[in-house]
Amino acid sequence: MGVRAILSMGAVVWALASVAGPRPAVAQEYDVAKDADRHVRFVSTTQVNTFDGVTDRIDGYVFLTDSPLRAGMPTDGSKLYFEVDLASLDTGIDLRNRHMRDDYLEVGQYPYAKFSGVLARVEDADDGGLRVTASGTLRIHGVDRGVRLPCEVRPDGDGYGARCAFDVLLSDFDISIPKLMFLKLANRIRLEVAFSAVPAEEARGGER
Amino acid sequence: MRLHNAISTVLFLALAPSISSGQDVHWQRKDQPTEPSVTIFHSPQSANLPTATVIGAGQWQFEISHRFLPPFSDGAGALWGLDGPIYNRLGLSYAPTDRLMVHVVRSNLDDNLELGGKVRVLEGGGETTVPFQVALAGGFAWNTAIEATGGYENNESQAYAQLVVNTLVGRRLAIGVVPSLLHNPTIADRDAPTELTVGLNGELYLGRYLSLLGEWNVSPPRGELVHDAVSLGLQIETGGHFFKLVATNSARPNPTQFLGGTPYAFKPKEWRFGFNVTRLLAF
Repeated sequence: MGVRAILSMGAVVWALASVAGPRPAVAQEYDVAKDADRHVRFVSTTQVNTFDGVTDRIDGYVFLTDSPLRAGMPTDGSKLYFEVDLASLDTGIDLRNRHMRDDYLEVGQYPYAKFSGVLARVEDADDGGLRVTASGTLRIHGVDRGVRLPCEVRPDGDGYGARCAFDVLLSDFDISIPKLMFLKLANRIRLEVAFSAVPAEEARGGER
Repeated sequence: MRLHNAISTVLFLALAPSISSGQDVHWQRKDQPTEPSVTIFHSPQSANLPTATVIGAGQWQFEISHRFLPPFSDGAGALWGLDGPIYNRLGLSYAPTDRLMVHVVRSNLDDNLELGGKVRVLEGGGETTVPFQVALAGGFAWNTAIEATGGYENNESQAYAQLVVNTLVGRRLAIGVVPSLLHNPTIADRDAPTELTVGLNGELYLGRYLSLLGEWNVSPPRGELVHDAVSLGLQIETGGHFFKLVATNSARPNPTQFLGGTPYAFKPKEWRFGFNVTRLLAF
């Protein structure tokens, strides 16, 4: 059997595997893109006031055992991990930042808010994107809580852009609610997260 | 054997996409956690003396301060001095950068109007070594409504420059030294030379919101201002406010007034009440 014959046979098998047979699973890691827009925002709304804090220091990855992301895809083996650098949160007022860092989030001891989990469900969204639900553990202030995170995801180049929004209760994470702050903080905090994830090879500098 | 190798090659090529990326996560944290800058004095100002602290870039600070003229020793009939009258000070500061803040302040004592600023020029130390901060401060003041006569004519303007050195001892005690040069210290005396004063201030942090503060400005006696200005008090801070409540022997609110000294000795009989309220604003 000559080399040409072997290559021809290989091409035929490849074509059959790609078209006629089940699509081979392609595992892929996507990392949060450092150079793209990313932000985490918390919003506290009370009857008296609303204020927020923002940071762009979110990092992490999504690992799919069967890329690309699509509605109804098998989610077994998927892994998600995100972390937010809490010391970088900016509420617009330094004094308030310091109180938040030192007295409530205690970032010296708990520098990151972390989410680790798996994909629970991937569905088509009405706007042409995907509605992705992740389930896992959110760790803030050293306390773990099970959460489900709803996100809207859209393909973006070789990767994806994601926007997630959900509520947390400060009391669930043993964070005392400031009583002496004139801008009173609500117990229920809205968290909004946006980031882009690109193939890990690209995130690490194009070493494809 | 060749056939076996050929089949292995074909299978490898066919299955390559599913294993090319592997099953392991290779993610690594890209940045180290943010290290917030060390804070020595929480507030940009003690009772009167400046600290090396600068409010955040783009922030504003509004201030209203009172110094009650009657001392506590006037008793219940004068509501321990709270009946007034008072000297009032209004101020507005803005920080174009994290190191620089500028201000305009006005006191109703001689309608003293001041434009000034402060720039933090040096800082060091941190978690393992003693932190310190150094700032330069200064201002120009105009006394726009001098009621007294004689010696004051055409001598309404004053100026000052300060070196501010702050450090933190044991994470709870902030200490500051503030040598100041005060030009035209006594507007009643146009020939008075520029004088050097040395301020000392400290703040002991008792908890999240509460601290004790003290300051003492050593100044040469001149005219009726024969005593050093001393203030002792309490500071309460919230998410955007500082409240300072002090007992002081000085009722002279603005820097060119306070630095020159006070006619009252620092004796309990001469202590009077004063407060500063500041509010940080971000638009």
